[in-house]
Parts: sequence; C-alpha cells; structure tokens
Amino acid sequence: MVASSIKQFLSTLLLATLFFTSQMAYAVSSIQVSVGSIDSPLGQIKDAQFHVDLKGKKPKLNLIAAVKPQSEPDFIPFKLVCGTLLSGRAGYIDCLDGQLTSSIVNAPFSAHVTQQPTQLSFDILFNGINFSDATGLHAAEGLVGDLQFNAKKKNAVWQWDGQLNWDEGEVFWEPFYFGDAGSAFSAKGYANTKYIVVEDARLLVKDVGEMHAMGKIDAKTKQLFDVKVNAQQVDFDGLYTLLLKPTLERSTFGSLVVSGKANWQFAMKDAQPANFQLKLMDANIEDKNGKFAFNHVNANIPWDYDIPQNISLEYENGYLLNLPLGQTKLKAELNRYALTAPELVLPLLDGALCFKDVSAAWLGKNWFWHLRMDLIPIDLNQFSTALGWPVMEGQISGQVPLVTYASKQLSMDGAMTFNVFDGTVGMKNLRIDDPLGVVTRMYADLTVWKLDLAELTRTYRFGVIEGKLDGDVKGLELENWKAVKFDASLQTSADDQRKKISQRAVENIAALGGEGTAAALQRTFLRFFDNFNYDKIGISCKLRRDMCEMGGVAATPEGYIIVKGSGIPSVNVNGYNKQVSLTDLLSRIKRITDGNSIVIVK
Amino acid sequence: MIQLGMKQFISYFLGLMFLTMSVVHAAPNLEVNTPAINALKNSMQARHTALASHYESGAIGLTANGLIAVRDAKALPLKDRRGINALVASENSDRSRLYKEVAVANSHPEWEASIQDAFAGRWIDKAQGGWYYQSAGAWQKK
Repeated sequence: MVASSIKQFLSTLLLATLFFTSQMAYAVSSIQVSVGSIDSPLGQIKDAQFHVDLKGKKPKLNLIAAVKPQSEPDFIPFKLVCGTLLSGRAGYIDCLDGQLTSSIVNAPFSAHVTQQPTQLSFDILFNGINFSDATGLHAAEGLVGDLQFNAKKKNAVWQWDGQLNWDEGEVFWEPFYFGDAGSAFSAKGYANTKYIVVEDARLLVKDVGEMHAMGKIDAKTKQLFDVKVNAQQVDFDGLYTLLLKPTLERSTFGSLVVSGKANWQFAMKDAQPANFQLKLMDANIEDKNGKFAFNHVNANIPWDYDIPQNISLEYENGYLLNLPLGQTKLKAELNRYALTAPELVLPLLDGALCFKDVSAAWLGKNWFWHLRMDLIPIDLNQFSTALGWPVMEGQISGQVPLVTYASKQLSMDGAMTFNVFDGTVGMKNLRIDDPLGVVTRMYADLTVWKLDLAELTRTYRFGVIEGKLDGDVKGLELENWKAVKFDASLQTSADDQRKKISQRAVENIAALGGEGTAAALQRTFLRFFDNFNYDKIGISCKLRRDMCEMGGVAATPEGYIIVKGSGIPSVNVNGYNKQVSLTDLLSRIKRITDGNSIVIVK
Repeated sequence: MIQLGMKQFISYFLGLMFLTMSVVHAAPNLEVNTPAINALKNSMQARHTALASHYESGAIGLTANGLIAVRDAKALPLKDRRGINALVASENSDRSRLYKEVAVANSHPEWEASIQDAFAGRWIDKAQGGWYYQSAGAWQKK
C-alpha cells in the first residue's frame, strides 16, 4: 500500500517536474516549489519541497515531503532524488540515478516515463530495493529487477500490458517468503472508468511452475470481482512450501514433506468463490511428526458452488498413528459445503474400516462428520504390535451405529468388539479428544467376557493358568494412550469348569505384589506339584493417576485374596499392598513376561 | 483522594486475604508429571531448538505472563522470519495447556492462573543472559 502510493506519487511528481523543465529558460538556475498539502483518495502529502537544480550539465531533482497513505496512522517523511533529470521533449522524462528514501524504504532506481494524452508508459529499473514496515513482517531486501508498463487509450478505454522481472533479492510478506529470485510476472488487459480487466496474467514462480490468471477489479474500490486462476503440472513440493504451508502452519497439515505434481484452478464470480479443482498426480504426503503418511496419492477434487461434484482420492499405502493403511480408493460427492458418500473403505492391516452413510459439513470453519462404521476383522496381533502395545492374539471386529467428529472430538455411539484370547472385549462410550493433537485423551468403557487365561498366559510366558475371566474396565481414560484412570475388575467366570494354575504362575502372581505379597505356598510339600486347583482368581484396580487401589476375590484383614485355592493340592495367593503404582506393576509384568529374571517367592 | 484511599484499602485487604489463603492451601507442585504434561513438555522441547536462536537474537522475548511474543522480527534475516508468528502461537498454545494440565494434576483446576504466574517467574529466572523478557510492560535484556 505504501509502496504503491509512493509509486503513484512519484509519477505525479515527475510529470509536475516535466512541466517546469519543458518551459525552463536558460537564465533560470533552479526552480523551487513548496506545497502545503495534497489530498487524494489514496492518502495525503504534506510539506512538499520541490527543488530542480539547473546549474550543472545535468539537471537534478530533490523532493522532500511527508506522505500518509490511508492505511497508515502517521505521516512518513521521505526524500526523492533524481541524480539526472532529463526531458528531451514534452511528455518524456528520465530520472536516472534516482533514490527514494524514507524510514521504511530505500530504493535506488532509474526510470523512464512517457506521458501523453493517449499514452502512459514507464520502465523502472530497480537496483537493490530495501523495504520494511515497523514490525519487520512485511519486508524486502536487495531487490533487483525491472518493471515495464504500457497503456494506450482508445475510445475511453485504456489497453495495457506490463511485465515484472525479478532477478535478485528476497521478500517476506507474512506469512509468505519468496527467497529465490528468478520469478517473473506479466499481464495485459484493459481499463475503463469502472473496471480494470486482466485478460491474461502469467506468473512464473521459481521452483513451483507457471500460473495463469484473468480477473476483473473494481476501479474505485479495488475489489476483485471475477477471477480465474489456472496452474498445470506445478511442483507440489514448491506449491506447498511457498504458498500452502505458510497458511497451514498451525494445522494438522502444517508440517508435511510432499512431492508430486498438481493441477490447480480456482474461479471467483461476483466476489464469491465459484469453482475450484485440485488434481494431485502421484503425490506423496508425510507428516514430519510421524502421525500419518499417504504414498502415491492420485486425487481429483473438483468443487462448484452451484453444481454437486464427484471427488475421488486414491493412495497405494500409508499409515495413520502407526497403523499401516492399504491401497485405498475413495469416492464421494461434494455439494457446496457438504460431503456425502454411501461407503468409504479404508483398508487397515489385514482388515478394513468400512465407513457407511458418510456425511460431513463445513460449518463455521469446522468440519462435522457423521457416519456408521463396520470393522472388517483386523488381526489383533498386528494391531497391538503396530501401536506398541503388549502383543495380543485375536481379532477386532464390530459395528458402530454412529461415529461423529466435531470440534476435534471423535465419539462413537454403539459398541466395538475385540475377539481377544478366545473371549470377547466389548468397547462402548468411546470418545477421543484431539486425536492428532499434542494432548490426546481417550475415554471408553470395556466389558470382558470369557477371556481364556490359558491363551493369555501362554502368550505372555507367565506360567499357565487354565480358566476363564469375566469383568469390566469402567471409566477408562487414556492420556496420550497411557492409562490414567479406570475402575477395573476381573474374576473367574461363573460357569467356568477347568481351573488350574501352574506353580510358575503362582510364583509370578505373588511376585507382582512386590515385597509385601507372599504366597501361602508351602514349598516344602507343594513344590513337588506342577499344578494346583483353584476356586477363583480375581483382581481389581481402581486407578487414579499412577496409583492403583488393589483388590481381589475377597478381602482379608491384611489385604486381599488374588487366587483362592480349592481341592487338593490347592494354593492361595494373597496380596497385601493395597496401593500399588501402575508403573511399578507394569514394569514387574514386563520383567516376568520378558523372562529375563528369576522370580523367587519368599 | 478518598476513592484512591479506598482502592488502596481494598488492595491491601485482597493482598492479606491472598496471603492467608496461601498459608491455608498447599503450594502447587510445579514438577508434577502426567502423560499429558510429558507430551506437552516433549512438544515444547522439540520446538525449543527453533526458538533458542530467536531468543538469542532478541526476535522473541518472554512475556510477564508466562508466554512468549515476537519482540523484533527485524532482528532476523528475512528467510528466518518465516513461520515466526505460527511458532510463537504454537508455543503459547502448549504453554497455556501446560498451566491448565499442571493445575488439573494438582487437583486444583482453579489454580491455573497462579501456576501460570509461577511459571512466568521461572521462565525468566532460567532465561539465558542476553534474552529479552517483559517487565512492567517494557522489554528488558537479561
């Protein structure tokens, strides 16, 4: 704004100077003019002092004034010098070795201006322009290049064309940075009293590619009316780095590594977005924070304000929160600010998430999603390994009647089922806050039916326990996927028949209790038995932060019973520590299941 | 004058009340650890590499309320001004969230403001020589 106002003022000034120089008499050695103030729709100029020195061989111009563009609160003093001011004939002027200086700009330049009733043209060579506003967030350094402009008037219409070549220097215009010179801009069009029309603008951006544009601008308000922008086969990395990333810095897509090619077009009509199309060709997109990646992406995303459009997106593979994604082809309909699809299948490990009746709407700068979800069985071993959880055997499957995502919150109405260790774990009331954010919280309620202890203990090399467990984990709360709160209770299933526990498992359970837990194991006699019968196994933990308030199948005056023996031979395992740190407990389980230590029961 | 006197009295009264409350309540544990606090600290630690040079150049300074602000972008070469506002906004988002999480972990969500004040003092105390911080509304060089 400041620069453009100064440019306009500069032309006015040069034309005024022309008036003086073209009528000068040889007897005159200098011309001096003072102007108190000039008002224009663009701003004000005050305290202007023109001085044209005619004494030497080459006339010189000095101008000191203060300018106040409408957008600025204060007047900015500036000085304009033309080292050589030439005017061979009326309407032509050269300002050579020129310099424009103020607190915000230092611009060495040479300019040639032609002003005729039906013609205006100028050619400005700039040679090291430095510019910065007070905040330093809009600045340029060392700009070298040239700007050419020609306009001819015919029947009250100005036909114009212009070209800007940028050879050296860098520009930062928050949030955009253009560091590599070598870009060029050319445009042509016409202007009348109402509109400035750009018929063909060509912008060649180094490391990105070429863009074409046309548009119509209101001559008075400078509002952009009709615009069409079209870019074919541009470099997606260049486009992302230069134009997309700066506007996405704080979003999920602000830290990506991308490659591939893109076609892009955009149109506005009557100052409103009219249509848009983005095509990605063999693009790769990876989040630097490792939260997601999509490889070999091909997408066609058209959008039209009036006509619903079909969009498609395909990728060969990728991952989401460490979960590998298989080849995926998605199709949906985009109707103004709403997206719908009867079915979207997202292959995940050996199964898939099958989203049905998908509807999404863009309201108030947020996406709102509603859908149903069927889980095509996913192998739990691969799933738990991928997430870095303890390895589990089984499958995840289920149907979720309603999944919603709004305001960074994902929630499910309905139940998901994990077929795990020959039993079933049902999950309901699932809610995930900010799933891709810094702090992710997950809430759920779990119910466990008939978990086969034989499979569980074999998997974790815990010793062998035969029997089944029922129970629940109520109010489960995970903070960044770590448990911080739940009320869990697991105990032997009511109708369970075969209930045996190996000596090693007894020792390991006892060891879980730490120093305070002792097994009522009469080693002198019972050590000869590999297995014992039991009546019930039960353990409960009321977790708050890292502290578990422990319980078992029954309370004792000193603690609680974890394994209640039955028959002959039988064994009881009692717990005495009512408060156990979950971190300690997990590290003990890890030590035991890793099999790296020998557990000694005292 | 009377109004001023009344204001002073109220200030003293509130100050006294605050002191009394401080005695009654346990002091917040600023070192408390939860997975959320760890995640925020890790996120801030990862960002610190990018921020450290900006603190040194004086482009960014520590504010009196425990956040950070762009002090003078002109202290940086143009290419380094890229994303500086987003960097500051992301850091402030993490810091605000940290104060909230520390208050929650202390089982006193209502302590958030005083925890933020306590952290503000800590950040400035721990700042390296040459970094800028805000004091009484003005930037000071440490």
